Amino acid sequence: MVDLPTLQPFFADKLELLAEILGRYPEYGRRSALMPLLWEVQRAERHVSEARIEEIAEIIGVTATEAKGVMSFYSTYHEQPVGRYHLQVCRTLSCALAGGDELYAHVCERTGLVNGETDAEGRFSIQNVECLGSCGTAPVLQVNDAFYERVTRSGVDALLEAMRRDELPPPTRERGGDNASAAKAERQTTPADPTDAGGAA
Amino acid sequence: MSTVAESSRPITSRFDPRFEVTLYRYVGVEGAHTLDAYRAHGGYAAATKALTERTPAQVIDEVKASGLRGRGGAGFPTGLKWSFMPPPDGGQRFIVCNADESEPGSFKDRYLLEDDPHQVIEGMLIAGYAIQATLGVLYVRGEYYRAYERLQAAIDEARAAGVLGTGVLGTGVDFDLILHRGAGAYICGEETALMNSFEGLRANPRLKPPFPAQAGVYGRPTTINNVESFASVVHIIDKGAAWYAAMGTDDSKGTKLYQVSGPVHRPGVYELPMGASFRELIYDLAGGPTEPAKAFIPGGSSTPMLPWTDANLDLPMDYASMAKAGTMLGTGGVIVIPESKCIVDAMYNLVRFYAHESCGKCTPCREGVSTWLPKMFQKLLAGLGTCEDLSLMEEMVRHLRGTAFCPLADACAMPVAASFQHFRSEYEHLVDTGTPLHPRTSRWVA
Repeated sequence: MVDLPTLQPFFADKLELLAEILGRYPEYGRRSALMPLLWEVQRAERHVSEARIEEIAEIIGVTATEAKGVMSFYSTYHEQPVGRYHLQVCRTLSCALAGGDELYAHVCERTGLVNGETDAEGRFSIQNVECLGSCGTAPVLQVNDAFYERVTRSGVDALLEAMRRDELPPPTRERGGDNASAAKAERQTTPADPTDAGGAA
Repeated sequence: MSTVAESSRPITSRFDPRFEVTLYRYVGVEGAHTLDAYRAHGGYAAATKALTERTPAQVIDEVKASGLRGRGGAGFPTGLKWSFMPPPDGGQRFIVCNADESEPGSFKDRYLLEDDPHQVIEGMLIAGYAIQATLGVLYVRGEYYRAYERLQAAIDEARAAGVLGTGVLGTGVDFDLILHRGAGAYICGEETALMNSFEGLRANPRLKPPFPAQAGVYGRPTTINNVESFASVVHIIDKGAAWYAAMGTDDSKGTKLYQVSGPVHRPGVYELPMGASFRELIYDLAGGPTEPAKAFIPGGSSTPMLPWTDANLDLPMDYASMAKAGTMLGTGGVIVIPESKCIVDAMYNLVRFYAHESCGKCTPCREGVSTWLPKMFQKLLAGLGTCEDLSLMEEMVRHLRGTAFCPLADACAMPVAASFQHFRSEYEHLVDTGTPLHPRTSRWVA
């Protein structure tokens, strides 16, 4: 008899996390935990495999087909692994008016990848995305969960170089409008927050 | 009022003496997102006032009297919406915050959530009390990860301080929040699609009726409002309905967060009393266009564009004036379209967006928005279009209107129709010559 390969269930050693996620929702709303469970797996594994979908479906009490139907509805869950640095370029109108298309072409040229591709070493992947709500600070490049706004050619090149060294610089804190001057005017009056390093994973 | 191409005056809405900036006062201020900072400038005083000195019905009356209209785009009167909730039957009721901001050209909610999350939580607490809901759902779009982190930290702080949980703020009122993260779908901004998404379903909109007040989240009575609406409620309770209603115009009260993007000198979010003109926003605050402009989208990508004329720039940004001009205030997200951008190319950009975001439930939207329209734009832009194609496209967008469960198809059809109305000559130029009137150039200046 052949020993079939088995995969350790993702949540087998994360029972506290699992309980915390399920506990966010009322008992009758257990299915609401589907999206956060998908997020947890994707965060760790950079995609959600068929095996993980089956595991999550069983936890929630739905079929794997249903769970996959939900997952595939949303554009930020991935069925295939994305890179350690997932480069998402917004190309919707406000970004396009600020060079979003050229930014996309530039990132493609520098990485040798196009939309939907991941490189062989699993470092970079590229995805065209729609409006990220950064229209006032366009063009925007989202790397994993962090926004890099008003990006320039030299800025993108420096960012890519840093990522080739496995460093991810802190994201921008652009606000646009008159909110930068406000920060200056009122900084003295509000207590500083030592925990705010401004970084997203 | 400035009439020059570029205002040299360093006017900013924040320091405008004519009114008080409230919603965005602490946006961009370092450290303002913490509970200590929020409380240091009087945070949660409005909620305490509502919960201890007012009945739920009085809170609803106050919001009704303020004239606040929903800031998510549709402009429905907020207090009236709250009054649609049926009498409590002992079962769970929900207040939902729609933080799925994804309408192209809109980015006001993001900074509120990131920099002043407690303001939104306080608004939800007041609203929850008013409609007698003990549970709130805060649905934030997946891409707003920083906002998600800030909200989670704010909720944790609020729970630890007794601002959320059992007996909030030392009263007998229970209220807690569920923070839920989306995963990239514009359709979740539609209220019933958002509820399906929250429940772990595909985010297809639901048939209405029943409306959310009858059967919303988990089939329970639910009220859903936009981020900015909740923030506005805090100041209405804090300073009174009369103070709020004194700002703005007859049918549009208070201040609103307007956004400017596209080629202007100072793009960003500006808080202004409702009824201020596009000229004040675009020229006085945003510094005017950096290159000649031919049109502007007044309130997010789904609102019909207006040509760049003096009359249009002088239009007051309120609900009635926008309706009269044949467009909508929407989210207040203004996108300036420069002369040098091919209007067909610009519209294709938006059609591609709607094609990507159509959920595929209703046939007219799936076939029209997702399939035919983008293909026809591709044909035009490839120089292969005919006069008949233009007529067909006009007919199509006319027939798309009002044929689907939700407004997404209309949201795509309306701006396309407006582009034909005002700039048909650019479409015709493409058909006649096979090349756009304004060929693509690099727009990446940096």
